[in-house]
Formats: sequence, structure tokens, C-alpha cells
Amino acid sequence: MTKQIELSGVNKYYGAFHALKNIELSIEKGSFVALVGPSGCGKSTLLRSLAGLESISTGDLKIAGELMNNVPPRKRDIAMVFQSYALYPHMTVEQNLTYSLRIRGVPKAEAKKAAEEVAATTGLSQLLGRYPRELSGGQRQRVAMSRAIIRHPKAFLFDEPLSNLDAALRVHMRKEIRTLHDRLGATSVYVTHDQIEAMTMADHVVVMKDGVIEQQGAPLELYDRPANRFVAGFIGSPAMNFVPAVVGEDGRSLAVDVGEKQTITLDRQLQPGRRVTAGLRPEHLHFVEPGQGVFRLPVGIVESTGSATYITTATAAEVTIVETARRPVRTGDIIDVSIRPSDVHVFDGESGLRV
Amino acid sequence: MSDTNRNRLMLVIAIVMAAIYLFPLYWMFITALKSGSEMFATPPSFWPSEPQRSTYAFVWESRGMGRYLWNSLIIAFGSVILITVLGVGCAYVLARYRNVWVDIGLFLILMLQVLPASLMITPIFVGFSQLGMLNYPRLAVIIAIAAKSMPFFVVLVRATFMAVPQELEEAALVDGNSRVGAFFNIVLPLARNGILVSAILIFMQAFGEFVYSKSIIQAVELQPASVGLNSFMGPNTNEWNNIMAYATIYVTPILAIFVLLQRRIVSGLTSGAIK
Repeated sequence: MTKQIELSGVNKYYGAFHALKNIELSIEKGSFVALVGPSGCGKSTLLRSLAGLESISTGDLKIAGELMNNVPPRKRDIAMVFQSYALYPHMTVEQNLTYSLRIRGVPKAEAKKAAEEVAATTGLSQLLGRYPRELSGGQRQRVAMSRAIIRHPKAFLFDEPLSNLDAALRVHMRKEIRTLHDRLGATSVYVTHDQIEAMTMADHVVVMKDGVIEQQGAPLELYDRPANRFVAGFIGSPAMNFVPAVVGEDGRSLAVDVGEKQTITLDRQLQPGRRVTAGLRPEHLHFVEPGQGVFRLPVGIVESTGSATYITTATAAEVTIVETARRPVRTGDIIDVSIRPSDVHVFDGESGLRV
Repeated sequence: MSDTNRNRLMLVIAIVMAAIYLFPLYWMFITALKSGSEMFATPPSFWPSEPQRSTYAFVWESRGMGRYLWNSLIIAFGSVILITVLGVGCAYVLARYRNVWVDIGLFLILMLQVLPASLMITPIFVGFSQLGMLNYPRLAVIIAIAAKSMPFFVVLVRATFMAVPQELEEAALVDGNSRVGAFFNIVLPLARNGILVSAILIFMQAFGEFVYSKSIIQAVELQPASVGLNSFMGPNTNEWNNIMAYATIYVTPILAIFVLLQRRIVSGLTSGAIK
């Protein structure tokens, strides 16, 4: 597979503010990459640097093998879908779609044909004569997408394109964007703060925080083997439980502090006496018969969504448990839960790195 | 007091205020139609008994109003064109860049707006005289008006530009346009209403401009209507009907433009004129 976008040693400063710190990222042709992280983590800055709307301070940025550091956006051959869609309000849908073609001097008839073809695939055929203000949110979103795909760019950049849509439409568009990506064989970079979007859509997820790439890899790899506490807490919903723990004297068990000391066994050998943080995913904690669990926990809050029950314990370090079987659990009950040793994540108490 | 009564009272107050405010205008229109004797009758009549339509033709001919209005139009259009061409670029830069220098620039621009024309005219006159600009008096007035009214225009148009989302420009850049192209293709069409409204306001200001024209333009045949009206009035004037006819001819076109466009002018000033 060839590299479509390569970033090496990229830094970006705004005056004294260090917005991107030593970014190393290579994106393969045809892959769908999600940049995810909390707001202000630098993911949008990174995307805008790819587009050429921001310049990078140091490092190299290559698109399709060509150095792009100082190339203006119009010569990078990339397309971008903005959060606000940024449709030209004074142009009809058709004019919006063909704008990039008209600038490049494509003959009118040809541009019109291209617009009709794209509109047919995105379901906009009936709307070509309308103005953006006459469209619904979902339709505007489609126009923004169509405007990007009409010219077959080297890469698609998406800047939180679904955040202005309601929940149901968002789930629908998620699939639609991914389908479109596969059909076009495109290379896409997708910025989002929603880890579900990143996990479901992308082949490769890049988790960022404070301008640093915390971890990158396949979605399930990030879920199964988070590199540090931040990634562990960011990926997965509801978020992973973190409880302070100390490695037992045999090195194969953890003394976990959830109100009272409890012990869980590990499937690996650690340095005895080491202070660590245990990471327990809510969905990995299972109910067991009294006396057979590794935890005895008092129930604090019970929230039921029908498909699953979210139980938050009344302990010092709160633990959330997701239970899909319906059990009559009430506030104040004492429940027994267990976890498979292989599902226990252990992070260093100080650095937060995976142990 | 109930809400309805309250609203009625407010309406009455509004009407009274409007009547007071518009009375001079009304007096101008009817005095122009009165005969010489009716004009000085006591008590004054509020509607002319025998409207004298011939006054208009007489004033137009005797005062050479065609020439005056032509000069006013040249000065007004000249100022609007100069201000629009220079001011749009200036306003755009001030809208898109934020730093200390832009803030200083904005402050200076607003300072210029504070200085009254009657104060500025002396240094302008001396400067123009040394540059030989007084040989082209109408051009000199256009430049002086442009300098005076530019800040007003720049501040208004800057607000319009700020209302155009930057993402639209960025979309145009990514779509393959240059910055200049994006400005002309995307930003300018969207800011058009705001620019037009500001230009109309400038036009109306320049059309009625008096201080600079009076001081700089000596030759009668080059003077605008405002100066012509002033020279019509002497210390012993008693032909008020003729003067009012002159004033009517002078302001009615401007009033008409304003009334026709007022909805767009108000919305253009407030909404930023995007949608």
C-alpha cells in the first residue's frame, strides 16, 4: 500500500502556544483515518494543516509523495467538508457542486454532467436548483459531501461533519459516509470528538491530547490494548473504571481499593508492591452468585435504558457496571461481580502508561 | 392602565413626535406652493389656497439649478466611487486580521470621524492650495469628502465583512481558488448588500455636503446645489417660496430614494446582509 499522506516531525506554534507537538503520522491510500480527542487537542489544527489553511512551523508534510509544506490549498488537490458545511449561500446546489470545476476551467456542459452524476449518487437530483437556505440539515450535509467528491481529490478531509445533525441522522450519515468512502476508494481523514464515530467508521484511529498523538492504531487495538490511561478512558462507552491498586506480594494479584480492599488475580507477573491503577471496563464486570465474585460492591445508582442497566456503585472510587441481563438490583443492595484476569488493564500509578 | 390603552397612548406620542419632526419638511413643501402674499399672511395657512406650480419652473430657470444639481451629482458620485473602491479593501483587511496594528488603525480611523469638517477645512484648504489642487475644485472636494466619510464607510462595511463566515472563504480556497479569487467570488457577493447600503448613505451625505464645497469651489458654475441654495439666501431675502421650491427640488429625489430603499437600508445595517 502506498502512503497518501505523510507527516514527520510536524510542529505548529501560535506564538508561544505549542499546538502540535512532533506529529508522526502516515496515512495509507484508501484508508479511513479518524482523528479523535477532546476539544483543544489539536485535531482540527492538524486537519487544517493538511488542507493548507494553517501552515506548519517545522517538519515535513507530504501528500502523494510530494512535499506540501508551502503549497497553497488550491494546489494540494484535497477536498474538505466543514462542520458548518460552508455552502456558498448565494449559489444554487448545482453551482455549489460545480464551483471547484468552474474555477479549474472545466467546460460548462461537462461540469453540469458531473454535478448530475454526483447528485444522483447522493440523492440530490431533485434539489440542484435550490439554494442552501432552502435545504434541511441533512440535505446540506449531503451537498457538502457531494461538493467534495465531485472532483476526485487525493484526500477527503472531514471536520466534525456530523456534529450539527440530530442523533438519528448522525447514525445514518455515519454509514453513508463510510459506504461512500469504500465505493470511491478514497483516502479520508475524519476529525471528531465522538469516539463512537471514530471507532465505527475508521480503519485507523488517532487519539490526540494537548497537541500530542497519544496512541494510533486499529479501533479494536485501541480498545483492547490502550497505551495509557487517557486513551483507556477516552475509548469505550461508558468510560473505563479506574481504581487505585497495589500489586500483591506474589506479583500475580492486585489489591484494589474500592472502599474496602479486595483482591483480583492477574494473568501476568508484575513487580510486587508496585502502585498502579487498575482499569476495568464496565462491560467486563459480570454479576455472579454471592460468594463467587472477586468484588462485593454496594449499589449506588441504577439507570436502566431497557437494553442495558448502568449500575454505579456507592464506593469511594466509583465503579460503573453495564449489565445486559435484567436483574432486580436496587440502591443499597450488595452485589457480587467478577472480571476475567485477561480483561484487567493495569497502568502505572504515576505516568499512567500501560504496564 | 390596560395594555391596549397603553399601546394607544404610545402610538399617539409617536405620531406627535413624528409630526413635530416632520413639520419643517411639510412647511417647506407647502411654502413652495404659496403665493407671495399668502406666505406672509397671519394667521398662516396650513394648506395653500391657490397652489403656485409655476414657482418650480421659475426657480429652476432663474437659478440655473440644472447646473448646480449636475455638480452635486458629480461630487456625490465621485466621492462614492472613490470611497467604495478604497474603503472596501480597507474594511476587508480590518475585518479579517486581528492584531495590535489593526486595532491602532481602527482607532485612528474612528478618530478621523470625530473631527468636524469645519475644523478640517483650513488645513485641507492650505494643503490643496500648495498642491495646486484648487485648480480642480470639484476633484478637490471629492477627495476632501472621501477623506471625511471614509471612516464611516469602513466601519460599516467592516461589520458586513465580519458577518461573512471565514469558513466560506476557506471552502473556496480548498475548492481551488486563490485568496483574491475567493474575495471576489465569495465574500464580495455576500457583502454586496451591506456595501450598497453604506454607499447609498455616503451618497446622501456627499450630495448634501456644504462646508468643503463652499470653501474650495469659488467658480459659481462649478458649485453644487447646497452652495447654490446658500447663495440664494441673503440678509434681506423675502422670496421664501422660491427658496423652498429650490429646496424641494434639491431634496425630493434623495427623500424618494431613502423612502424606497429604507427597508433594505435598515435591514442591511442591522443584519450584516448575509441571507
